[in-house]
Amino acid sequence: MEGARAMTLNVDHLAKQFSKNGQETVESLIDINLEVKDEEFVCILGPSGCGKTTLLRIVAGLEHPTSGTVKIDTTLIDRPNQKLGMIFQDYSLYPWRTVNENIAFGLELHDVPKEKRDSIVKKYITLAGLSEFGNSYPHELSGGMRQRVAVVRALAVEPTVLLMDEPFGALDAQTRNMLQNELLDIWQKTKKTILFVTHSVDEAVFLADRIVVLTPRPGRVCEIIHIDQVRPRDRTSVEFAKVRRHVLDLINQKCSLQ
Amino acid sequence: MKMMNLTVIALVAIALVLMTAGCTQPAQTTNSTVGILYSKGVGPMPMLLATHQIDGYIAWQPFVSIGSESLIGKVVAYSGQLPPDNSNVNHPCCILFARDDVLTQNPDLVTAVSALTQVSSRYINEHPAEAAELEADFLVGKGNFTYGNVTVSSVNVLNDAFPTVRYTNEPSPDWVNGTKRFVNTQIQLGYVTDKLKNATADQLDARLFAFGPYQNAKQQIASGAIKTPPKASKQITIGYLNGDMHSAALHIALKKWQYFNDTYGVALKPRDATQTRPEIADLIVNGVPVAEIKLVGGDAGPQVMQMAATDVVQMGYVGVPPTIAAIDKGIPVKIINPVNTEGSGLVVDANAPVSDWKSFIAWAQQRSLEGKPLKIAAPGKGSIQDVMLQYALKDSGITFKETS
Amino acid sequence: MNRIFLKLASVQRRSFLKILLPVAIIVAWEVLAIVLNNQFILPSLQSVFAVLLNPTADILGNGNLVDNAIISLERVIAGFLVAAVIAIPLGIWMGRSEIVHELFDSVMQLLRPIPPLAWVPLALAWFKIGLVSMVFIIGMGAFFPILLNTLDGVKGVKKTWIETAEILGAKEHQILSRVILPGAAPTIWTGLRVGFGIAWMCVVAAEMMPGTNSGLGYLIMSSYNWGQVPVIIAGMIVIGIIGVGFDYLFKMVDRRLFAWRELER
Repeated sequence: MEGARAMTLNVDHLAKQFSKNGQETVESLIDINLEVKDEEFVCILGPSGCGKTTLLRIVAGLEHPTSGTVKIDTTLIDRPNQKLGMIFQDYSLYPWRTVNENIAFGLELHDVPKEKRDSIVKKYITLAGLSEFGNSYPHELSGGMRQRVAVVRALAVEPTVLLMDEPFGALDAQTRNMLQNELLDIWQKTKKTILFVTHSVDEAVFLADRIVVLTPRPGRVCEIIHIDQVRPRDRTSVEFAKVRRHVLDLINQKCSLQ
Repeated sequence: MKMMNLTVIALVAIALVLMTAGCTQPAQTTNSTVGILYSKGVGPMPMLLATHQIDGYIAWQPFVSIGSESLIGKVVAYSGQLPPDNSNVNHPCCILFARDDVLTQNPDLVTAVSALTQVSSRYINEHPAEAAELEADFLVGKGNFTYGNVTVSSVNVLNDAFPTVRYTNEPSPDWVNGTKRFVNTQIQLGYVTDKLKNATADQLDARLFAFGPYQNAKQQIASGAIKTPPKASKQITIGYLNGDMHSAALHIALKKWQYFNDTYGVALKPRDATQTRPEIADLIVNGVPVAEIKLVGGDAGPQVMQMAATDVVQMGYVGVPPTIAAIDKGIPVKIINPVNTEGSGLVVDANAPVSDWKSFIAWAQQRSLEGKPLKIAAPGKGSIQDVMLQYALKDSGITFKETS
Repeated sequence: MNRIFLKLASVQRRSFLKILLPVAIIVAWEVLAIVLNNQFILPSLQSVFAVLLNPTADILGNGNLVDNAIISLERVIAGFLVAAVIAIPLGIWMGRSEIVHELFDSVMQLLRPIPPLAWVPLALAWFKIGLVSMVFIIGMGAFFPILLNTLDGVKGVKKTWIETAEILGAKEHQILSRVILPGAAPTIWTGLRVGFGIAWMCVVAAEMMPGTNSGLGYLIMSSYNWGQVPVIIAGMIVIGIIGVGFDYLFKMVDRRLFAWRELER
């Protein structure tokens, strides 16, 4: 990870159609173009059903586009790739494994020797602030704690890009805010590129360098907004409210039209 | 005047019509019926009788003796006494059969088994008390039977039963005729419909019997030397009926193998002497083990014949009617020789107003009139007991139908 | 009565309830036996206990209760293991591949409702008399619960679990061993528990086949053949106790290893 290798994630003319009952085709995404630069924090914002989760899954290599490509630098992404880590909304922790064992999962898959594994796990569990819970099971943890484990589990195999699908959607407002701050913290420490899907304007404005606003189905890129505000951003500031207003207007007007 | 004449004629005509109508009406017949219940095997019969779910049962020994010894029932008639009068004395009962392929491939083996059966039967006839004890051991480890509040010793039961079974192996002309009478009976009852139904006399003989091995064995026993058969290429399975003492010759042979080995040079030596009913034995002739024999008990004759059809057993001791029915269906077996005659009986509830067949029929008619026809249990459709009962009832003018 | 009951601690309460019904049954049995006074309809408790409390006494030349119970157990375990060894991999395969599932599905649905006893004549004809045909019958009993539960468990593995593994770089065999198997394990274990129970029920059916000379099922049939009702009931009780015992063992393992399943919900 050293060196000035600036990675670029490119989404080119991506489209996705589903066939319903084998006859009708439903268009989910139309002509998505996106360039994500190294260490960027990009949010994909849109109403339910606009295809943002589908877009993320295609970027992750879990689904195939009907047309168009996803590339990291020159590598075509058509199947899951270790450079792209993913965090699901339901955390998807393995309930039969302890926290330590969950974090170690990816390392086990690649036969990383035990000693090295243990030290990596220790590093990341500390990053998550959960050092005392190494031997606990996911069902013994709160929602927020589980999500932290999910994040560091993905980080343990050192992906370049983190894909996050509404990861804080199931949490209460307080925990969500706390985790948003922690995420920014981890992002700044680990210098990952993050592609973050959400339907919450507040969340997007708080977290992102850029916000990609999608139209309702079929999802198109309506607008891409740059947010220059310095972090940590103050949710109560006038600046913040202005940006929020702007984004909301976009969603309600320009981006809700086909 | 004319009106009157017409009326009279009309009335007379009507009267005539009514009268002739009355005459041509069929007379009322009372059909007495008995229900036959097929319980799989004879085991449940004493129980069914004791709980009054049946009124009687016809079974092979020792279940007739069990019925009377345990005071649950009393004997109406032994099978030799069943009508049609005198036709059932010495009636064929159980036989030894062998599959055609065994007969072709190793006839001397079948001869040896027949020889062993013959010398064992002789032993039974000469030592009935010892045979009773050995048979009680084979069947139930000489244990006691508890029926309700009565406990009977199996040895006592067998002692009571043995005299009612005739152990004989000679396919005399009488016996052969008796067997052929069974064929006719079964044809009438609809149990024989195919290969034996329209067979000529010669065809019948050829299809049913293969007495060669028996005759050879008889000669060899008389001359004091049994011919050693070639070693069997694979295991031979011999079937017999569970809880049935008609095949006592087989059982005694197993229990007293050493005696038969020393006296006649033919023996069935169990591999595991501790088993009450040995499963594997060696057929030893003149000191040479010539075959590994597996012994399998079946619940009823038809079941054993089904196993013969699928080559699960190659020889067996079963009743004549199941064998006849099997041959009729095309199962490739032949009757080698008889192993016993008679040895079954009809038992009714201890409190029934019956002392012999005549009073039994009267009772059947009475109960039929009352609308509660008798229920008699028989082991398995097509078994010899079933066939004999049906024929006897028919002869006495009673109809029967299967019941549950 | 209620007051005493409420005063007991919760654990004691549950134990009390558990033994209440069996005790009531025993009492009712004794009373009925005396009233009916018919050993065939209801043998007295003593006669049954006489058999149970003498488990090493020979019964009608068939050996004793203990030996026969062990023989039955050996057979059931053999049949059960054969069924498991075939059903679990097949279930996993069917669960992972839609094509394989479709291929086997119609045949499975056809065979499933057939009671193991119906297979006896065929088993005898194919495998002759002996352990193989018995293992076949017992195995047929255990097979479908194990197969269907395995299938169910595999299909029930969360898609995101599998996708997480794929993203982290797992190969197919690793997905199988580290996600599918542990994820499906609780359901598979339930299938094994149910399958064993059914296999154990098949003991009587399997040991009814001709040529069987031993085992609890045979003991019961033989006693039936001689009308010895107390032995039949004693045999039934032993079968019941062993069945309960094994079910309890399965449940204990489930509690220990698969606690996470309940708490996941």
